[in-house]
Amino acid sequence: MIWSIAWKNVWRSRKRSLIVISAVTLGTIAGVFTSGMMNGWVNQRIDAVINTEMSHIQVHHPDYLLNNELKYTIPNYQKVITTLNQNPAVKQISSRIKVTAMAATSRGNTALTLQGVNIEDEKAIRDIHEKIVKNGGTYLGTEMRNPIVISDKTAEQLRIKSYSVTSETIDSLKTLGVPENIANKTGPLKNKRFKTEKLYKKALEKQFTKKEINEYGHHLLNAAKHYRLRSKIVFTFNERNGGLVYQTYRVCGIFKTNNTMFDQMNAFVLHNDLAEVADFEDKEYHEIAILLNDNEKPEDVKTNLKKTFPGLSFLSWKDLSPETALMTDFMDVWYIIIIGIILMALAFGIINTMLMAILERTKELGMLMAIGMNRKRVFNMIMLETIFLTFVGALAGMVLGALSIFITGKTGLNFSSVSEGFEAVGWSAQVYPSIGFDFFILVTIMVVVTGILSSIIPARKALKMNPVEAIRTE
Amino acid sequence: MNVIETKNLEKVYDGKAVEVKAVNKVNLNIEEGEFTAIVGPSGSGKTTLLNLISGLDSPTAGSIHIDDTDLSTLNRKQLVDFRLKNIGFVFQSYNLIPVLTAGENVSFIMELQGRDKHETEARTREILENVGLADRYHSRPNQLSGGQQQRVAVARALASKPRFIIADEPTANLDTKSTENLLDIMEELNQKEKITFIFSTHDQRVVKKARRIILLEDGRIVKDEQKKQ
Repeated sequence: MIWSIAWKNVWRSRKRSLIVISAVTLGTIAGVFTSGMMNGWVNQRIDAVINTEMSHIQVHHPDYLLNNELKYTIPNYQKVITTLNQNPAVKQISSRIKVTAMAATSRGNTALTLQGVNIEDEKAIRDIHEKIVKNGGTYLGTEMRNPIVISDKTAEQLRIKSYSVTSETIDSLKTLGVPENIANKTGPLKNKRFKTEKLYKKALEKQFTKKEINEYGHHLLNAAKHYRLRSKIVFTFNERNGGLVYQTYRVCGIFKTNNTMFDQMNAFVLHNDLAEVADFEDKEYHEIAILLNDNEKPEDVKTNLKKTFPGLSFLSWKDLSPETALMTDFMDVWYIIIIGIILMALAFGIINTMLMAILERTKELGMLMAIGMNRKRVFNMIMLETIFLTFVGALAGMVLGALSIFITGKTGLNFSSVSEGFEAVGWSAQVYPSIGFDFFILVTIMVVVTGILSSIIPARKALKMNPVEAIRTE
Repeated sequence: MNVIETKNLEKVYDGKAVEVKAVNKVNLNIEEGEFTAIVGPSGSGKTTLLNLISGLDSPTAGSIHIDDTDLSTLNRKQLVDFRLKNIGFVFQSYNLIPVLTAGENVSFIMELQGRDKHETEARTREILENVGLADRYHSRPNQLSGGQQQRVAVARALASKPRFIIADEPTANLDTKSTENLLDIMEELNQKEKITFIFSTHDQRVVKKARRIILLEDGRIVKDEQKKQ
């Protein structure tokens, strides 16, 4: 009966309760959605770290990590490979030679790490081949001699990328959904070539308003982008024994990930091409990347492998990208902080509402205490009422928050106007919010705790009432 | 057999200038099955005396025994429990729980007593029938007239099977017809079920029905009259 009375009391002043419930609902939606967005970002970052950048575990010669010296290839390579192939936890492996080189074209130069890879192994372990940009050629599997895949950022640094507006550019803008009048405004830029993004952006700023650039800038940039595929890049690097060697590669593909840092540091070539010039023998590699069947297992597998090969370095993605690992570990704390702050702010409103409810029901509470309702029951009734009031709002907020996450999780949220900033730190500008079921359990617990804590002040006020005086209240 | 016995009962309120003796050396015995009205002018101490007898207020001096229990020996928790088991209350302004139906208002007190659900349901229906409201089981207080609400309040007071019922100005807000109807019901319950009723009242209609009339003035019993049957 106490539960029933408490529930009915919530609806006694319908308008007032609905205001509080609406506030709790909105607060919970905000908390759920913010957490979902943050979780989506972190998950996407983890996915990028594992599937694009580092895999679950990397194996190196322990001394190679100190200074990336080429001579430190993985000892007992064949035995390591055999062991890894027999390990049921291992899904895929890929071996790489890694050489730090200076890249130069007639227009620019930059430093890069050349990764000599075996195409099929690499395709199975990381998704660079899926990150080839539009009109950006293909991955390494071409007939071209000495092919190389470089990033969009490197292409810009080596001036292999330029911007020009052609009739096709204007047509493509229209197919992308850019209004005709906006697309046609690029007319004065037609047949001009801009060597850098900066110059093209300056020209756009003269033609378009700030609002138009914010809205369509992303399309205006992409549609006018041109890569000079098959361009030659000359690389200078030390071969295995320290001698300086040169090798020319031809650009076969341009990739772009969500991590600018990774993009501007890495380029991919065929293992045999690099091994030949850098004087590496067959089965000589600097790095073995391991992809596991289970995302949760890297630390266990790493520990076991370390025991089998104590002379080798095994690093999990958490060791290689501690900032991402930190974010993962921090997420649970983040949830508690964000939901906690929201509920704490709402608690004041809930307390106020409950105090008003108690004040209005002074006579009734006096009667209840007079006829024999003890303090514990009075406290429980007010506490339940507060929990119901909070939980109804929170439940609605969780449902609506989950719905918003479900929808935006499919469509994604685009922050392309600030993509440069995001991508500079490895975060995607297109986020797909997601949240686990355990998050909702946490929110439920926090809501109930908030309800209990918020009920203390009103309940204490009720318990301090003298039944004789309370009954006399008009 | 005495249900209530007070000895030299006093209640003094500290006023700003002077002390107010709301109840002054009251010695009172109320026996089982009595139908007693406590009358007196406003401020004579009727409500205070009822509050003391029911354990809602504590005396400044003197003692109250309900059956063999000295109320002064009970702590706050025990007093609440004592009231729940032994005393039924009827208030001037009904004081029903507005969110509950008539049936729920009656059964609520039995649930507080921890009675069996089926027993509670059956007794609720029986009592509502006794007060002539069997057909209003599912009505909320705001769907009932003042007289009907007060009858629900009487039903609630009866539900706990109390040793006695204290009714503080129960007819003050009722019209003549409702008053007569309510008094008839209470008189019938008193005579058939031997339930002890103690009223505080100004209402001559109640006084007329009462078999014992206690007149209070300035906190003292100045007249204690037993009517002849």
